Amino acid sequence: MAIAVAGGGDAVALFETRHRDLRRRKALTTGLGALLFALAFGASAIVGEVDPGRFAAGVPNILDYVHRTLPEISARQPLTDIGEWYWAIDIWLLLMLDTVLMGFVGTLAGTAVALLFCFHAAANLAPTRWSFWLARRGFEFARTVPELVFALIFVFAFGPGPFAGVLAIAIHSAGALGKLFAEVNENADPRPIDALAAAGAGWTETMRFAVLPQVLPNFLSYGLLRFEINVRAASVLGIVGAGGIGEELYLVVRRFLYSDISAIVLLILITVSLIDMGCERLRHGLIEAGPARATR
Amino acid sequence: MIGAADLAAIREAHPRVFRRSTAERRRLALIWTVFLAVLALGLWRVLPGWDVFVAGLGKLGFLVRFMIPPAHGGHLDQMLHGLAETLAMAFMGTLLAAFAALPLGFLGARNVLPVRLFHFGLRRLFDGLRGIDSLIWAIVFVAAVGMGPFAGILALAVPDTGTLAKLFAEAIENVEKRQVEGIEAAGANGVERARFGILPQVLPVMLSHVLYFFESNTRSATILGVVGAGGIGLQLAERIRLDDWQEVAFIILLILVAVAVIDWISGRLRRRIIAA
Amino acid sequence: MLEITGLTRRFGSVTAVDDVTLAVPNGQMVGIIGRSGAGKSTLLRLINRLIDPSAGRLVFEGRDVGALTGRALRDWRTDCAMIFQQFNLVQRLDVLTNVLVGRLNHRSTLSSLFKLFSAEERALAIRTLDRFDLAEAALQRADTLSGGQQQRVAIARALMQEPRIILADEPIASLDPRNGKVVMDALRRINREDGLTVLCNLHTLDTARQYCDRIVGMRAGRVVFDGVPAQLTAAMVRDIYGMSEEELDQAETVTSTAIEAAPSRMAA
Ligand SMILES: Nc1ncnc2c1ncn2[C@@H]1O[C@H](COP(=O)(O)OP(=O)(O)O)[C@@H](O)[C@H]1O
Ligand SMILES: [Mg+2]
Repeated sequence: MAIAVAGGGDAVALFETRHRDLRRRKALTTGLGALLFALAFGASAIVGEVDPGRFAAGVPNILDYVHRTLPEISARQPLTDIGEWYWAIDIWLLLMLDTVLMGFVGTLAGTAVALLFCFHAAANLAPTRWSFWLARRGFEFARTVPELVFALIFVFAFGPGPFAGVLAIAIHSAGALGKLFAEVNENADPRPIDALAAAGAGWTETMRFAVLPQVLPNFLSYGLLRFEINVRAASVLGIVGAGGIGEELYLVVRRFLYSDISAIVLLILITVSLIDMGCERLRHGLIEAGPARATR
Repeated sequence: MIGAADLAAIREAHPRVFRRSTAERRRLALIWTVFLAVLALGLWRVLPGWDVFVAGLGKLGFLVRFMIPPAHGGHLDQMLHGLAETLAMAFMGTLLAAFAALPLGFLGARNVLPVRLFHFGLRRLFDGLRGIDSLIWAIVFVAAVGMGPFAGILALAVPDTGTLAKLFAEAIENVEKRQVEGIEAAGANGVERARFGILPQVLPVMLSHVLYFFESNTRSATILGVVGAGGIGLQLAERIRLDDWQEVAFIILLILVAVAVIDWISGRLRRRIIAA
Repeated sequence: MLEITGLTRRFGSVTAVDDVTLAVPNGQMVGIIGRSGAGKSTLLRLINRLIDPSAGRLVFEGRDVGALTGRALRDWRTDCAMIFQQFNLVQRLDVLTNVLVGRLNHRSTLSSLFKLFSAEERALAIRTLDRFDLAEAALQRADTLSGGQQQRVAIARALMQEPRIILADEPIASLDPRNGKVVMDALRRINREDGLTVLCNLHTLDTARQYCDRIVGMRAGRVVFDGVPAQLTAAMVRDIYGMSEEELDQAETVTSTAIEAAPSRMAA
């Protein structure tokens, strides 16, 4: 031991100082991080009016509220009770159908727009610098402004109804999908693109024949995922008057029609889960049929 | 370039090249018919009358013109306060969800608590929580704890608790078994096993998920104000009601900047966490 | 006649093709040889105008093709079809569509977008595929074919362009010797039967000697040899490659395994 220390004294000392430095720096980062976190926490607690007292007082309210929404279903005549609970099932189903259709049309329109401009938004494919910049910024804007904000504006312009909701969904989806599509495009195999350019094909044709076949399965998969998200979104857009079941939900909430609230929420939940399940199966089908072989 | 006789001969030899098989044609026709029928139904239900559409476009054009230039109209302090509230809601909501989801995630992971029925019930609970949009939760919490950002925090936290718990549980189920076994071999009890065997492995994944949710909650928090749950959304909705488009545009710009900044910060943090 | 005069291309400080002057009469089969990095690929891509020259002239049948843009440039590219080392087929499309892609510049964009190829075009595609014994595979996906088959599909695609010149960049470097021979035979056939000019980058000397009317040797971007195979003496080989043919053969085994390893790395 003594020999080793005597022989490598310098190295040990160097190691020690380095180690101490590193530890000090790490402690500093950690300390700074903790401080920032504490500051953010304190500020958020004050600005966010976090009040455990109010929360504690509110908990019984919440429980009471949830309790009131629960329907009374007796063991003696459950079917009649359920029938009573869903007394407006015909209206609600129609509204729910509208909601799903809003999601469908909105997703489709959004996908179409994303498809049209996603090649411009891919760094490896964009034909000109300015179209690249424009497509990127456009997608960014469309995806950053929340759907509900678009919905508020469109309700103002087109009046209440599902059209405002569809437009809002379409714009937001175009932005979100456009970004994802562009990322997929950037990972496309460049070799066929080269080949088509070398054969004298134009830009549009090159995208159609060299890029689209490679990326289409991924696009479809993302589109289906977006459809799931959009049905959820469509079910709340009604709150600002943009059609669908959300409008009815907001109405029964404000009128304190408690059992109707739970009935509608459950209806939304079931519909959304069914659509999720359906889309998941379709997506799995796509993945098995497509990219597994296509990624080469 | 090719004679009629040659063409006929080639057609004869390779019929599928020129025309799809009947079965395939039927299948395609079916798919397209269903698709177009649903689309037609959808368009019929959602499209407004032509006059409404034209009038709406005109109005939209007007209001875009009125948005320029964006201006705060002397309400800058109010708007900034709304924005601060939005960020605070996102921060606290995400934090609350993360803390609630941590134990739930452990309980929901198959390898931590191998009780099928319990596990199944818990997972359905997660699904239920996240299946209801935070805007709906906001309505409920405004009714329960009153208007203001606190309701918004709770509204963000509840569905995120469901999603995060699910993600945490999945991360935990994917941990490397050997490390956990090592801790078990050292004689650890259940809690110690979770703390020393599992947590160090999943913490980076969890942190990265949490940061991602912070980003997405910043977006969600901007609109909860529409139903009275605090944040800048209330002011936005009011300005739209009052036809004050310059200020609407200004608020939208504020939102864009705030979201971009949060995305940037959180993205950097996430990359650091993943790299470490 | 393809006349290349003083053609130069620089990438930053690297001069990939340096003052190349060549005159290729129609119907000639030219092999271009040289070490990796000598500028062979760049030369072919310059001719097809996938890359723009830094200096020099490119004239085909009296037409200055070095300065074309837009429609005229695409027409020129259609006139000089390219064959690639990696075949560059669209893997997820069937063989038929891959071949029909060669017609894209002959038709309107709109009908192309919806894949509405006419019966004549389909028949022509089948007939072209049939020349290389691939008509039966027309409806198979490209990624189900072997490398040799894929390269022949690529040649069929090139022929669909109705080109005047074929530019083949290491067409057999990714193939085993047997498939390499089939592909070289195919190139030789279209040279002889269709009278097409063929410019072919090759990494094996004996292939160049066996198939080509004329051999061009490149070193560091410059043409250092230009003559018939018989003129390619041991001294010339040493000059082009910086080593003797035996040493080259030994290095070659190393290179060809390296080339075979390359695509599998990309697939992973
Ligand atoms: N796109 C490019 N950017 C920069 N350098 C390039 C590019 N293409 C080729 N080069 C360089 O030009 C030289 C010639 O390359 P290349 O024509 O591919 O040679 P060969 O095909 O004979 O192996 C090499 O030094 C290569 O690194
Ligand atoms: Mg090369």
